[in-house]
Amino acid sequence: MSWCIAVDIGGTFTDFYAVEPSTGRAHVFKRPSTPHDPSEALIDGLRETAETYGIPLDQVEALAHGTTVATNTLIQRRGAPVALITTEGFRDLLEIGRQIRPHVYDLQIDQPEPLVPRKWRLDQPERIGGKGEIVRALDKVALRALCQKIKGSDRQAVAVCFLFSFFNPKHEQQAAKIIEEELPDLAKSISCQVQPEFREYERLSTTVLNAYLQPAVGDYMDKLQSKAKELVGTARISICQSSGGLMSVEEATDFPVRTALSGPAAGAMGASAVAKQSGLRNVITLDMGGTSADVALIKDAQPAISYNRDVAGFPVRLPSIDINTVGAGGGSIAWIDSDGLLKVGPQSAGAVPGPACYSKGGTEATVSDANLFLGRLPIGGLLGGSMAMDRDKAAKAIEKLAQELGLSTERTAFGILEIVNANMVRALRAVSVERGYDPRDFALMPFGGAGALHATDVAVELGMKTVLIPKHPGILCAQGLLDAPLAKDFVATLRLPLSEENLGSIEEKAKALKASAADWLLANDVPENSQSLNLTADLRYKGQNFELSISLGEVDTQLPPLAEIRSRFYQAHEVAYGYSTEDDQLEVVNIRIHAKGQILPQIAVPELAANADIAAAQRGTIAIWYSHEEPTEAPIYWRDDLGAGAVITGAARFEQLDSTSIVPPNSRTTVDPYGNLIVEILS
Amino acid sequence: MSLDPITIEIIHSSLKSIADESYIALMKSAYSQNIKERCDHSTAIVDVKGRLVAQAHNAIPIHIASMIGLMECLLRERPIEDMKPGDIFVANDPHVAGGTHLPDVNLATPIFSGGEVIGFVCNIAHHADIGGMAVGSMAGGMSEIYQEGLRIPLVKLFDAGKLNEDLFNLILLNVRLPRERKGDYNAQFAATRLAERRMQDLLDNYGASQLTAAFDEIIERTEMRMRKAVSEVPDGVYSFDDVMDNDGLKASNIKIALKVAIKGDQASFDFDGTDPQVPGNINVPFNGTQASVCYAMKALLDPEVPNNHGVINSFAITAPKGSLVNCVFPASVASRAHTSQRIIDVILGAMAEPLPEKTVAAANGANTSAIFAGKNPDTGEGYLYFETLGGGMGARYAKDGKDGVQVHVTNTSNLPVEAIEMEYPLRVESYGLVQDSGGAGRHRGGMSLERVVRPLGHTCIFTGVGERFENAPWGLDGGIEGGTGSFTHIKSDGSEDLLHPKEMDKDIPAEELVAIRTPGAGGYGSPALRSKEALQEDLESGKYTADYLQKHYGDR
Repeated sequence: MSWCIAVDIGGTFTDFYAVEPSTGRAHVFKRPSTPHDPSEALIDGLRETAETYGIPLDQVEALAHGTTVATNTLIQRRGAPVALITTEGFRDLLEIGRQIRPHVYDLQIDQPEPLVPRKWRLDQPERIGGKGEIVRALDKVALRALCQKIKGSDRQAVAVCFLFSFFNPKHEQQAAKIIEEELPDLAKSISCQVQPEFREYERLSTTVLNAYLQPAVGDYMDKLQSKAKELVGTARISICQSSGGLMSVEEATDFPVRTALSGPAAGAMGASAVAKQSGLRNVITLDMGGTSADVALIKDAQPAISYNRDVAGFPVRLPSIDINTVGAGGGSIAWIDSDGLLKVGPQSAGAVPGPACYSKGGTEATVSDANLFLGRLPIGGLLGGSMAMDRDKAAKAIEKLAQELGLSTERTAFGILEIVNANMVRALRAVSVERGYDPRDFALMPFGGAGALHATDVAVELGMKTVLIPKHPGILCAQGLLDAPLAKDFVATLRLPLSEENLGSIEEKAKALKASAADWLLANDVPENSQSLNLTADLRYKGQNFELSISLGEVDTQLPPLAEIRSRFYQAHEVAYGYSTEDDQLEVVNIRIHAKGQILPQIAVPELAANADIAAAQRGTIAIWYSHEEPTEAPIYWRDDLGAGAVITGAARFEQLDSTSIVPPNSRTTVDPYGNLIVEILS
Repeated sequence: MSLDPITIEIIHSSLKSIADESYIALMKSAYSQNIKERCDHSTAIVDVKGRLVAQAHNAIPIHIASMIGLMECLLRERPIEDMKPGDIFVANDPHVAGGTHLPDVNLATPIFSGGEVIGFVCNIAHHADIGGMAVGSMAGGMSEIYQEGLRIPLVKLFDAGKLNEDLFNLILLNVRLPRERKGDYNAQFAATRLAERRMQDLLDNYGASQLTAAFDEIIERTEMRMRKAVSEVPDGVYSFDDVMDNDGLKASNIKIALKVAIKGDQASFDFDGTDPQVPGNINVPFNGTQASVCYAMKALLDPEVPNNHGVINSFAITAPKGSLVNCVFPASVASRAHTSQRIIDVILGAMAEPLPEKTVAAANGANTSAIFAGKNPDTGEGYLYFETLGGGMGARYAKDGKDGVQVHVTNTSNLPVEAIEMEYPLRVESYGLVQDSGGAGRHRGGMSLERVVRPLGHTCIFTGVGERFENAPWGLDGGIEGGTGSFTHIKSDGSEDLLHPKEMDKDIPAEELVAIRTPGAGGYGSPALRSKEALQEDLESGKYTADYLQKHYGDR
């Protein structure tokens, strides 16, 4: 039978998750990443996975891939030299941005240097006005002269962004044609193609980032495709986007900026899948790794989307999963500030030297050291005991801080956990309370290496009653890749009052968008029965400067009546901003079609055999500190040996290959039919 | 009661989180752009003695002043034993109620534990209009506080949770766009209630005695931390002075003089020698001067130090009563932010001697504001477009100044050109950096901005408030001064009229232009020491003309 394989490339490890959709049979494989050429680990790993589990590579029908090539290129500033062409009089916009400083009080910290030096920001005579009218025609002679200047220089990519091109793309299209004629070998990013949306700086920044990434990501995609062809032949290869959806290799080559925030997106998609499966459809995720924790809100099994994110200090206006990152991970270092207070992070010990307990030369106390010292992490370490940890080294590192603070080692270790949890609580409040949601209406879903060590404490702090620990917290990202649809957003700016007479224009624009979306679905071989086209409108009160996305339902069906659209807006405004009024006029700024196609086969999920006997899964007991005063003796369970329906009341530690989970004395843990742990916090 | 440093840290983190959440609640539920988009508001938690304990992360430096001012007034005028849960006190007046200018409306609510007040939650929002003679209550040229808007002394707007509607109606009747204002007040009330609720949760967890003990510890530890930083500054007396261009009425070249004395962990700031207050509205109440000192010292010594009363306690500040930096009734104060920027330049100038590596040269030293108003010819409706523009930031010891940014006490965003043109009958002809505007030096000053605006199909009215249009931003240690700013009216025949730095209600006919040019910033170190590569970049980037480079760097 056929197989689907997901490959998630991280900084240290590349994860493989191979599934036979018809049976749900799945295998997990891990190998070290190859940062100099990530495709090496991918190709070698595919071969190794196939050999290890006897998967016939010629029967792989789909390969889904999360890549950090774009993100790393950006962080390391190793993108291509770009030439930027803007409307005359506005070439400094890239440097001015929003004219703000990153830190109010710090006189030395600056925004990052613009990705295109001023010398290569070129003024093009042309102008389109605020109503989309042509104020000054595009000067083609001048443009050809600019192209001559670029030709023969070191520039490898050209970005074009003119004012109001989202409204009237004519000048950008004319320019694109001329540039193609004059500079056929260079990569091109045109703002009306990258993201045709209102607000010139964000559109410009997104377009420039895209150009900057095109050559490097293009090279990678070429290499990936040709190597993969040899190995898995005709398998469809899809790339994960920041929005959690997939796209083709060709699209990733043209629009690499769409992958820039895809790292944590796959995790949120995996979490959505588990949320659906478990029936707990409203969850907040806590993905805690070695250096940071990512949190995201999932409502009705859909991750919340944000259109304004930063990557490496540059704004990107593209749909991406709304993820809040905080510098709290297993490797976060505990330290004493100059006011004598204990702090944890954002500095991390990383993989090298790592936490003191890793015995790789680290001497500073980290969150992992505190967890180990307090009986929360197994001495045998993760990966089923392949890496042993040294409790004495952890104790020594914590003792150093304890002496300086004048406290016991236990108090200090417990304090490290309390403080790192408080930092995560703030991040969780940011994606929930600050967006108008009450965290108590959600379950907390930890994943990543360290999430399940901290989740119940964090949940208690926030008054959350349920914690959902997925069956495989360590490979949720790879799993998410196989649950994601092929997806693309089509957007058009309207900026019209929302009124009866304008509904016609909305429908007309929607039709035009639908045509593009249909072409795209066709080009990507999406079968008709697995297509979906959802229409949303970005609405606001007239005079406001921010919009809310309101669903208008499936394309092709009648638009909802005006009163219904209005009432949906009022509701959303109430949630997001705490008030709404029916007196003010509404305005439609953009309409969007979210086009989706399920291209990967449905994966069967085998249910776990029922087994209420927990004694066989127990592996002794351990003293765990749930307060800084005294430890509690708690049973240790090997998770793979627990059956569906098993119930554990009170304190426990659960171990498995890729992570450890801690549950407190006042809790009841149930194993659900899919092997997830549902932890109820009892008051 | 003694608390361990872990518990204090966790309580401190919770307090900051309460202030942040209250800040976001205010931003989100406000009606006006000024709060929603420009975030001209702050939130704080204060102890029962009126001391600042925690502030929102994004709180505005100068708002510190108003909050402390309000609390001093509240504790002076109202016996604490008469307060009830649900009381909300409101004030804005700089002369009798601790404010710094009238548009900033302050709120405070007591927090109770077992019938006793243990502290207060406060917030402050800049209202887009507070009445008075000019739309927006911020134009230059006003000479008395009465012209600037409605003066609100300390009043109890909510009594045990019940709104005094008569009083509220009185306030709303005196401001333009009362519906929008009411929305902003409601946002302030809601933010207060949220903070109050969260403080109650914290009280449930820790109890009053632990919480108030933590307040003391937080303030004391911050003061210790700040004083430790002061003690690392070489002892000595350091002086500096600078002048404001004008007050928009009669006074010009108004001096700000400062003598800083550092001895051990003591730092005193004496503004003796500063000119008397002026008729125009650039006067600063003492609280505002205090906030400026706190900003500058925090920026110089420890940008990460928590914002609380410990910072304020670390400095002894004196200023002659009735002077520009300690004004008294009936001084007008609307544009006090410009002066605050200049006070900071003066402090940075004075500290150049003991802290040459940390200080920066003079920045654009202003809060350059431009207002375009008129009637939209397409709709017949009135419009008002208000913007503050950034400029140069001073050169630093080890690197160039920053180009085209808001500096010091201001950090508000610009409005997108596409938003301006879709919203108002205006066209932005260009928006960019001004050549040669960053002063030469080993490290050059930041460049200024220019925005050229054209009214379409109608005559519009332009009002502007600028500073450093005459007195250029100075350089340090041999660095050259940066460019000055200007407002220019460019007529259809191409001729140019230089407008007043505090221009009020100037008619700009259809299709003519106004060029708003902000000041640049001073350089640091002798131009002779600028690296070859940097000079090459100055030329290639087009940020400087060959003439300017030749003039200041010679044939290198």
